[in-house]
Amino acid sequence: MTEIETPRVKELTPAELEAIQLERPDFEVKLESLSQWQLAWRRFKKHRLAIVGAVLFFGMCAVAAFGPFLLPYNFYTIPTPDKFVYAGRPPSLAHPFGETGGLQRDVLTLVVNGARLSLLIGVGASIVGATIGAIVGGVAGYFGGWIDNLLMRIVDIMLSLPLLFVILVVSKFLGGGSWYLIMFIFAIFSWPGISRLVRSLFLSLRGEDYVDAARAAGVGDVRIIFRHILPNAMSPIIVAATLSVASVIISEAFVSFLGFGVDVTTPTWGNVLSNSLNFITVGNWWWPLFPGLAIVVTVLGINFMGDGLRDALDPRARE
Amino acid sequence: MIKYAVRRTLQAIPVLLGISMIIYAILLIAPGGPEARFAQNPRITADQIAAFRHRWGLDQPIPIQYCKWLGVCGDKPFLVNALPGGTIELAGVRIELPGGDNGVLHGDFGFSVVNGEPVAAIIGDRLPATLILAGTAWVIWVIIAFISGVYAAVKRYSLFDSALTVFNYVGFSFPTFWLGIMLITVFAGSLHVLPAGGMWNARTVPPFGTSEYWAFFGSQPLNALADLGTHMILPVFTLVVVSIAYDSRFVRSSMLEALNQDYIRTARAKGVPERGVVFRHALRNALLPVITNLGLEIPFLFTGAFVTETIFSWPGMGFQFIQSTASFDYPVLMGLLSVTAVVTVFANLAADLTYAIVDPRVKYD
Amino acid sequence: MTGTAHLVAEAPLARDDLLLDVRGLRTHFKVMDGTVKAVDGVDLSIAQGQTLGLVGESGCGKSVTALSIMRLIDIPPGKIVDGEIWFDGRDLLQLSDSEIHDVRGNDIAMIFQEPMTSLNPVFTVGEQIAEAVRLHQHVGGAEARNRAIESLRAVGVPAPERRVRQYPHELSGGMRQRVMIAMALSCHPKLLIADEPTTALDVTIQAQILELIKEIQARTGTALLLITHDLGVVAETVQHVAVMYAGRIVEQGTAEQVLLQPKHPYTQGLLSSIPGRQRRGRELSVIKGVVPNPFRMPPGCKFEPRCPFAWERCRASEPSLAATDRDGRTVRCFLHTDEGASRRGAYEAAAVAAVRGVVAQ
Repeated sequence: MTEIETPRVKELTPAELEAIQLERPDFEVKLESLSQWQLAWRRFKKHRLAIVGAVLFFGMCAVAAFGPFLLPYNFYTIPTPDKFVYAGRPPSLAHPFGETGGLQRDVLTLVVNGARLSLLIGVGASIVGATIGAIVGGVAGYFGGWIDNLLMRIVDIMLSLPLLFVILVVSKFLGGGSWYLIMFIFAIFSWPGISRLVRSLFLSLRGEDYVDAARAAGVGDVRIIFRHILPNAMSPIIVAATLSVASVIISEAFVSFLGFGVDVTTPTWGNVLSNSLNFITVGNWWWPLFPGLAIVVTVLGINFMGDGLRDALDPRARE
Repeated sequence: MIKYAVRRTLQAIPVLLGISMIIYAILLIAPGGPEARFAQNPRITADQIAAFRHRWGLDQPIPIQYCKWLGVCGDKPFLVNALPGGTIELAGVRIELPGGDNGVLHGDFGFSVVNGEPVAAIIGDRLPATLILAGTAWVIWVIIAFISGVYAAVKRYSLFDSALTVFNYVGFSFPTFWLGIMLITVFAGSLHVLPAGGMWNARTVPPFGTSEYWAFFGSQPLNALADLGTHMILPVFTLVVVSIAYDSRFVRSSMLEALNQDYIRTARAKGVPERGVVFRHALRNALLPVITNLGLEIPFLFTGAFVTETIFSWPGMGFQFIQSTASFDYPVLMGLLSVTAVVTVFANLAADLTYAIVDPRVKYD
Repeated sequence: MTGTAHLVAEAPLARDDLLLDVRGLRTHFKVMDGTVKAVDGVDLSIAQGQTLGLVGESGCGKSVTALSIMRLIDIPPGKIVDGEIWFDGRDLLQLSDSEIHDVRGNDIAMIFQEPMTSLNPVFTVGEQIAEAVRLHQHVGGAEARNRAIESLRAVGVPAPERRVRQYPHELSGGMRQRVMIAMALSCHPKLLIADEPTTALDVTIQAQILELIKEIQARTGTALLLITHDLGVVAETVQHVAVMYAGRIVEQGTAEQVLLQPKHPYTQGLLSSIPGRQRRGRELSVIKGVVPNPFRMPPGCKFEPRCPFAWERCRASEPSLAATDRDGRTVRCFLHTDEGASRRGAYEAAAVAAVRGVVAQ
């Protein structure tokens, strides 16, 4: 470089320089600090679809919880059928969702009562499945080695079995009928997918510096898994579990519809649809329409909410 | 690449064996079994049931049954049975082969315990129906999904893009079977314009798959096609609507990803017009994941349509599957599942090999 | 169009000797949380065959400026809301799509930061270079291929006949950047924009690529707009420098002027954060704070919250980019207006210290 032009001022000592800089001690930039969950809630609130989804889903949950008490008809009181209208009656003021064929029951009552078990099985199976998946995936990803190998081979096999077939056979095998059994079966078949996800998360988080730091400080394995790694793996698990509620609700309805699910006398959306099948050729569209719409609305709500959660919890994962 | 294909095929063998073992075990451990359907019949005695169980070998230990089903146990020593048996003629010389000729390894899938028909014949009957339905639907939805996905990605944030996103959300949330029921209720139950199910009109057309059917097809091709077509409209529509959602979203996001790459900016910076950027630079890259995805959908053509087939009583593989599950017809189930498993393995392989051809970065050896 | 005529009549006419003259460029991005004014009033110019370095921290709008010149901003979310970009007698912002396609790659070519991802993985490098030639020079496939080989040879790629048949993943990072340069030069552009061309490369390769760009610039006489955050690269490569901060040019002048006599406290801060031998053993100076949040820009000077020399005046309103002294350089700072006269001494002392720290090694 060329010679510097002679400056007109004397050179400053470092102390003097510092004095100049200290003239404005207040110019540190303030940074707003929000926790991960506060940030996520902020983003979730801004996600219009997610809010719509949450309203749909929790609205349906409210219907399931309180609806049966508010309806004029009791589910267990079976009306005397009127032989002249064997196919049932279309929606009217007294029966806004119409009446079924055969026993001429109020479709609204069936749909509202069906919501309970359908939602319970969907949510319950997903929570149990996500918990098992998180534990298995966490153990496999954290410890690695032969444990990882063994667990992942089991997962491979579980994932390559045709799911619906096994559910059909197992629900037949175990007698079928009770809702918690069906819930348990769906839980058993929803964990392998989540455990793969959790394993890959743990594999990458295990190498993070803060985990090494914890280990160097003598923190035990269990505490590292639950205090240091799991909170950072939580977001994808929550999203996967939410979306799995939707798929369980649809599969449960289909299994019940085929007659392999919850006992046919108990109300679930799948059972109501299943019963309607004998009458569909007479054109009473209101019978299958409303339980199906209930499924669509619930599942749509969950999918909206799941995508909103994904964007809110893990903004980097967007498309 | 051939070496890679052979290695992959060899690796698939233990997986296929493992899956078949587990399914076999699940099927046979389940209580009830094929004889369950006699339980309600007071005229069938316990002795008759025992005879039935003996006739089908159900009284033997499950590993032996599996071994026989597979075709490695028989009247000859263990491994000799696994080899091909019988006689072949090579250049006029008759050669006696020492192995067995029963079991899956010898192409023998056994017989249905419900009606005694050979499993291979049942599958042979059902497969064409499934391929016609699922294949037609597949071609339609792949074309629609591809065009709409690419268009939505190119016109991102446009009205079309938003409309497709909403449609996909709804499509994801539609239970297939419910859509089918509603279509039947409306078009068959109320409007009476389309048949409620089945594959042919039993009053005017001989059963599908019989020689009479093909004779009818030969003599009156237009009538036959019209009959098949009217029966296909509703199930094909159902399959297409629920499947477009997933595929178009997949195509859209892989196209968007390709369009966001640095090399797209490079192409624009060197003056490539928008058309060239989209169809030459982005599409070629976006196709890579799409090809893999299409490969993974091929097994669907064989069994995946079973929800739709059940709703519309379409006499295909899926319909048979539900029926056989209900009656514990395990040889038929094993046959159906084996075909699916083999198709799945080879579809994955085909997808990988295609990938290697299209993507210069991937080399298998 | 009468509106355009009116504008042209009022604005000073484009100077004939200027190849590129950017005036009042504003490029904004609409995102979920509001509008990001990534480039907010940039003026810069390059004469025929001249070289200009555009310097600043990441996020200051350098790359957006370059992409705006090429009209490569994604619309939406981005939009060039105001300004003129005069190039070779035409306002690029008024050109039709097909006209701008003829400019890109032909009159103005660009090299990007990431050689690893800037080449299309499914085409051979030969195809990619030949594509530019075919598009702009209207020659056949065989001729385009020969030109591609020539271009590769010109940028020092060994065995170019073999290289044209290779795919990008078969080349090293430095080799890929040479391919990018060959592609950019294949149509003999009047202006070459290089956006951080060496940032992603190994240090030894960096020097080679810079040397190559300099050598090609001298040989072909193409004008060069070099975008970088590295003052060392600027000092070695270009004649003129523009310093950018928060979407604005804050200081402009010859490389010697700006680097040896920085007028803006931000430039001074950049210089004093370079490690030098004289500073060994002392804590490395940094510019305090971070680039301002794009949604909460300070009302006055955008550098005010981080500036050790700022006073009330700086908070009240934003200074304009004004000429200082007689030497034709411009700076956007109140220190160099009459209002800042009393504080100028302290600043200049700090500036001299900063320059001493780097240069007197």
